[in-house]
Amino acid sequence: MSHLLDRLNFFQSKELEQFSDGWGQVTRENRDWEDVYRNRWRHDKVVRSTHGVNCTGSCSWKIYVKSGIVTWETQQTDYPRTRAGIPNHEPRGCARGASYSWYLYSANRVKNPLIRGKMMRAWRSLRKTLTPIQAWTKLQNDPILRASYVESRGMGGFVRADWDEATEIIAAANAYTAKTYGPDRVFGFSPIPAMSMVSYAAGSRYLSLMGGTCMSFYDWYCDLPPASPQTWGEQTDVPESADWYNAGFLLLWGSNVPQTRTPDAHFYTEVRYRGTKSAVICPDYSEAAKFGDIWLAPQQGTDAALAMAMGHVILREYHLDRQAPYFEDYARKYTDMPMLVVLDEQDGKLVPGRMLRADDFKGDLGEKNNPDWKTVAFDEVTGNVVVPNGSIGFRWGEEGKWNLEERAKKKDVKLRLSHILEDDFDEIVGVDFPFFGGQATENFVKCDHPDVLTRNVTVKKVKLADGRDVLVATVFDLFCANYGLDRGLGGKWASKDFAEDLPYTPAWAEKITGVSADKIIAVAREFAGNAEKTEGKSMVILGAGLNHWYHMDMNYRGIINMLVMCGCVGKEGGGWAHYVGQEKLRPQTGWQPLAFALDWNRPPRHMNSTSAWYAHSDQWRYETLSAGEILSPTAPKGDWDISLIDYNIQAERMGWLPSAPQLKTNPLEVAKAAKESGKPIPEYVAEQLKSGDLEMSCEDPDAPENWPRNLFVWRSNLLGSSGKGHEYFLKHLLGTQHGVLGKDLGEEGRVKPTEAKWHDEAPKGKLDLLVTIDFRMSTTCVYSDIVLPTASWYEKDDLNTSDMHPFIHPLQAAVDPAYESKSDWEIFKAIAKKFSEVAPEILGVETDIVQLPLLHDTPGELAQPHVKDWKKDECDLIPGKTAPNYVAVERDYPNLYKKFTSIGPLLEKLGNGGKGINWNTEVEVQHLRDLNGVVTDEGISKGQPKLNTAIEAAEMILMLAPETNGEVAVKAWHELEKPTGRQHAHLAEGAHHTKIRFRDVAAQPRKIISSPTWSGIESEEVCYNAGYTNVHELIPWRTLTGRQQLYQDHLWMRAFGEGFVSYRPPVDLKTITQAVNSDEGQPHVVLNFITPHQKWGIHSTYSDNLMMLTLNRGGPVVWMSEIDAKKAGLVDNDWIEAYNTNGALTARVVVSQRIKEGSLFMYHAQEKIVNTPGSEKTGHRGGIHNSVTRAILKPTHMIGGYAQLSYGFNYYGTVGSNRDEFVIVRKMKNVDWMDTPVSEATTKVEAGT
Amino acid sequence: MDRTLKSLSLLLSYPTVELQQAMPEIGGILAADNRLSGPMQSALRPIVKALEARDIYDLQEEYVMLFDRSRTLSLNLFEHIHGESRDRGGAMVSLVETYREAGIDPISSELPDHLPVLLEYLSLQSASEMREVLADAAHILETLNVRLTRRESNYNAVFAALLQLSGATADQGAVSEMLAAPDDDPTDLEALDEIWQESEVTFGPDPNAGCPQVRDMLTKMDVPINPAPAAAE
Repeated sequence: MSHLLDRLNFFQSKELEQFSDGWGQVTRENRDWEDVYRNRWRHDKVVRSTHGVNCTGSCSWKIYVKSGIVTWETQQTDYPRTRAGIPNHEPRGCARGASYSWYLYSANRVKNPLIRGKMMRAWRSLRKTLTPIQAWTKLQNDPILRASYVESRGMGGFVRADWDEATEIIAAANAYTAKTYGPDRVFGFSPIPAMSMVSYAAGSRYLSLMGGTCMSFYDWYCDLPPASPQTWGEQTDVPESADWYNAGFLLLWGSNVPQTRTPDAHFYTEVRYRGTKSAVICPDYSEAAKFGDIWLAPQQGTDAALAMAMGHVILREYHLDRQAPYFEDYARKYTDMPMLVVLDEQDGKLVPGRMLRADDFKGDLGEKNNPDWKTVAFDEVTGNVVVPNGSIGFRWGEEGKWNLEERAKKKDVKLRLSHILEDDFDEIVGVDFPFFGGQATENFVKCDHPDVLTRNVTVKKVKLADGRDVLVATVFDLFCANYGLDRGLGGKWASKDFAEDLPYTPAWAEKITGVSADKIIAVAREFAGNAEKTEGKSMVILGAGLNHWYHMDMNYRGIINMLVMCGCVGKEGGGWAHYVGQEKLRPQTGWQPLAFALDWNRPPRHMNSTSAWYAHSDQWRYETLSAGEILSPTAPKGDWDISLIDYNIQAERMGWLPSAPQLKTNPLEVAKAAKESGKPIPEYVAEQLKSGDLEMSCEDPDAPENWPRNLFVWRSNLLGSSGKGHEYFLKHLLGTQHGVLGKDLGEEGRVKPTEAKWHDEAPKGKLDLLVTIDFRMSTTCVYSDIVLPTASWYEKDDLNTSDMHPFIHPLQAAVDPAYESKSDWEIFKAIAKKFSEVAPEILGVETDIVQLPLLHDTPGELAQPHVKDWKKDECDLIPGKTAPNYVAVERDYPNLYKKFTSIGPLLEKLGNGGKGINWNTEVEVQHLRDLNGVVTDEGISKGQPKLNTAIEAAEMILMLAPETNGEVAVKAWHELEKPTGRQHAHLAEGAHHTKIRFRDVAAQPRKIISSPTWSGIESEEVCYNAGYTNVHELIPWRTLTGRQQLYQDHLWMRAFGEGFVSYRPPVDLKTITQAVNSDEGQPHVVLNFITPHQKWGIHSTYSDNLMMLTLNRGGPVVWMSEIDAKKAGLVDNDWIEAYNTNGALTARVVVSQRIKEGSLFMYHAQEKIVNTPGSEKTGHRGGIHNSVTRAILKPTHMIGGYAQLSYGFNYYGTVGSNRDEFVIVRKMKNVDWMDTPVSEATTKVEAGT
Repeated sequence: MDRTLKSLSLLLSYPTVELQQAMPEIGGILAADNRLSGPMQSALRPIVKALEARDIYDLQEEYVMLFDRSRTLSLNLFEHIHGESRDRGGAMVSLVETYREAGIDPISSELPDHLPVLLEYLSLQSASEMREVLADAAHILETLNVRLTRRESNYNAVFAALLQLSGATADQGAVSEMLAAPDDDPTDLEALDEIWQESEVTFGPDPNAGCPQVRDMLTKMDVPINPAPAAAE
């Protein structure tokens, strides 16, 4: 038989053999495909890191590395669990972070140190014969050479340099500047340390050792809500996102949670399954609006009117017609509502004046310590005036009574909220309140009510120490009158009827905001009703949308008042949640010594950026807003109508705000002169200032001696993202091509400042050197003289925290820095090293004089109970009391590098601390010696703990901070027990032996430990929530009354009409002038310019990434309503130009029903480095969103030396608001990409042979 | 070592004084290689001469502007193949492994796909491998050649020379696709508009489209299940 029949011709068995009794088989399938799969997912290691961008997400990621190359990243899921019943924080991440590995190998990466070619050419030729210092000196003193590179900023022309050369130029420039003008002329700007705290600290440590100026960011970004320090004495403290899950009613107000808080949005989704109701308030139909059970869409900029009306409803229904017991009890214990306010007589009328203090009474009511800082109230039981515990006077100079126990003089008291109830009042009088609704411009609804509204209030008569009989009212009674509530006392401007059009009824608010009165009433009722039932579990998540208006404090205080009326602050699931700017550097007190070199010298030089940039980019020369326009009609008599910069100058010389530079004369020279005179430095400086021989720099910002000379920008895109008044920066600070379209006060013949010296010719190009450190070629890099390539977030070791979750976790070097880049720590270390080599030619051990403002959380916050200006001879100049303090600091310039790389002796000598408490930290420094090793080289740092690597720096933070070292936490709580006289250490006892190290957080994110630095606690019972320890531990808020401060009694607050909250319409910035509008008669619209956070980037980062550009529209866009588009003859995707006197920008238009008529959205921050054509208006490259804005200061933000209204770095100060701006929008006629070099000769290839 | 390839690697490296001094020698090598045609040799002359004679700072500024700053002229080849996709990491890993298999280890701070790095590697490999690798990249070389020609940069000749050495002709389809793709060539406004154009969003199936079942279904849905009382009369 042939095999032919048995053999398969066309098939073959799949099986080769059998085994295990036929249960297994070997087949002949091809398994090559598995290699593809295995190779695809093969990696050498997985490293934990994160994206250190200015984002509250703070998500931990797994980074996969193969052959030294990052291949991809995925989300980490190993966060410590939350407690039972609450969803976990993981997974965290979003599309932006997932697109990050692109940045590593992007064509836009900065690969080598880059230097402007013209500068390099000059430098090399000078360096042939000269030392670095001589070379820089010559370069600065030759106007033609200097101009050659200054004027070409932003126009290309970079060449590569090596690190040695780049750091040499920088070191020489810094040393020359310190010697010639003073070290405070070296500025450094870097934001949000929480996102990569060691990288921030690298630069600030270098600057602080040199005496340079660290610029603030939170206030400049306008993310700081001044209402928070005003009300709570706290910069910002908020609940973690898991606490949303505990809320019973969630109000989203101007915050777009799904879009901008993506990793946390799941809590918002989940809590609705628990039955929590949510109202969303935003003018546009945002992604968050879709989540709301109810959506209120007020006209942009009118939120305060809405909040006032809701407050009106809550007060009426829960405090007046019926007193909700929980609310009343909360108001009595935790707010200033029972405190007494003097009514001042003014032109025969009464206005609310100062809060009454113990020293107003005979014998100071028995208070020996700080009677002028102790507020008083009536005791319900005895009917007497008492001095209850907890006001700020008890905080300093005595112990045991700075607490919120209901006690005064060791006796129980019950403070009286109102005089109306028991008819226990002497009189009913009319009190004047300012009303600003009539000031609205044509773009907003203008009220025809008068600008002063007199309302009836019950008062008591009190005899004071000076013999005067005065009328006093409780804050609560004035507060209710201010809200326009009729309490049966008669008078014209109070109402019982929600439907009456009277300030601040719902009907009135409907007219202003466009939101119907019934919706306002419904939301207010549900908000308060839930709070009453749940004892405070109503929460407001509020966003930058509200805080970026000029009168942001009114928006915020309006909302805060609602929360306080309903007892929500400090309650789990309640309170305010302002997640704007990742300000929560959790191990802050461990970080500060590293960042500001407090281990070597104190104090550091801090500056509030808004005032600094306002002065140095000469935005003040174009000011369109006068103080007279924002002054209250009830302002006390005074010389109020001066320029905004004049207010800032007064604030600086009274010690309220810091200055940079500080003195017109080099402080190193002033110190020498003081030494020669034989007088102590403060005394010498005071004398010289009084005689006028010494001037403060702020008085003449345009004098060359007062210019900032060197500027470092790192971890930031100052010019491409946050720089309000972008074109003014370009024109004056940088001195290059710009698009400013308006004229300055001199050219327009308008009123000039009285205190700031005016120069007819404005300086152009104040900076000698702009150094930017970045990993991508951002807009700021493009304008810099030197660009240094930094390690990206997968290439360096660092730490990261956020306010959204309670964990600390690392950035780690998964791979070595690509190309020639180095980590920020290594960069500043290299600069420090070079500086120590170069500087000794002109600098040795010098004495510097640091000007220090009156600081919050120090006894200095009690310096000025009354406003007195020494320059107007209202008082003597006493440093640290009526003026800034002047402190001598030794600068050992040759040893700067040694100091940088070791932990100095001051921690052991002076201890460590923050927020008003200080503890001994010798043990921790010894532990750092053991952990990091000690310096063995001879010299100043011998025997000190080493600080060479970024990990050693991270260990310093972790070891010193209570949040990451339980032993320190226990110590810190014990320190706080001294002033409060209560037990707090139990909050950290359980974690006594927890010490978190860098390798611990590398293994897994770790939850931090409860610390007195923050007002919430980490526990297994409650989520982190702000104000928790104030309410539950009775630790006072750090305010005048020690309570939530709803009445602001400072003279300037009263003068500018912000004693109580009110609705103030957006201000008129007058930037749409006839001169600038070249489209008269052509189709165009004038729109309110709004710049919210975007979906396709975190600020400017990621926005230049092709994936994000593809998801968006591939370049700059603005959003407009269909109605406005029709008016301007625009269709979707048209190119438009938007302009006003500040400048012009170009973008595509997105026409959408989502947007409210009258507003123009431009998501910040879209850079001008991607697909931005030329502007027809300016003739230059179209600007960024900030090309049409300008920073404008507000005097109430300058107040200092007054309890919670005292300066602190990123705590209080002027803020860079930008939402009151209007622009003209019209279609572009020609789209010119301006793709030919500015100067043909330098950049074009020479043609031919 | 293939000194011509090595020379071309140098021509595309960051200009230094050292390079300027070596230019006469490099020029000689390029002029003597008969794999390059006569016209090609003369096309290379301008860049050789420019690198030799021009001011070093001008050369460096121009180099940074062209190759460090312009994404579409990037010398990192995978920029043009993988762009910002995460495949790029994997591709670079393979390339590094190829280098290592050949017994050499990359020591530069440049990434493995940097063209001068690749050229130096190829200068150590067989002629056939060199041709094969360059032929694979032919469309990129041609695209860069075109883009540089548009910018009137005489660096273009280097890319033309590489193409000639590969013996391949670039696939015109691939080249024009690259040139049409999201290019930062800002002069071509129409192409840009096309990129920006968004397609219309429609919801649900198109009733006029070809699928009869859907059409029938939609027609059926138009008929109310419970007719209004008036209509029912």
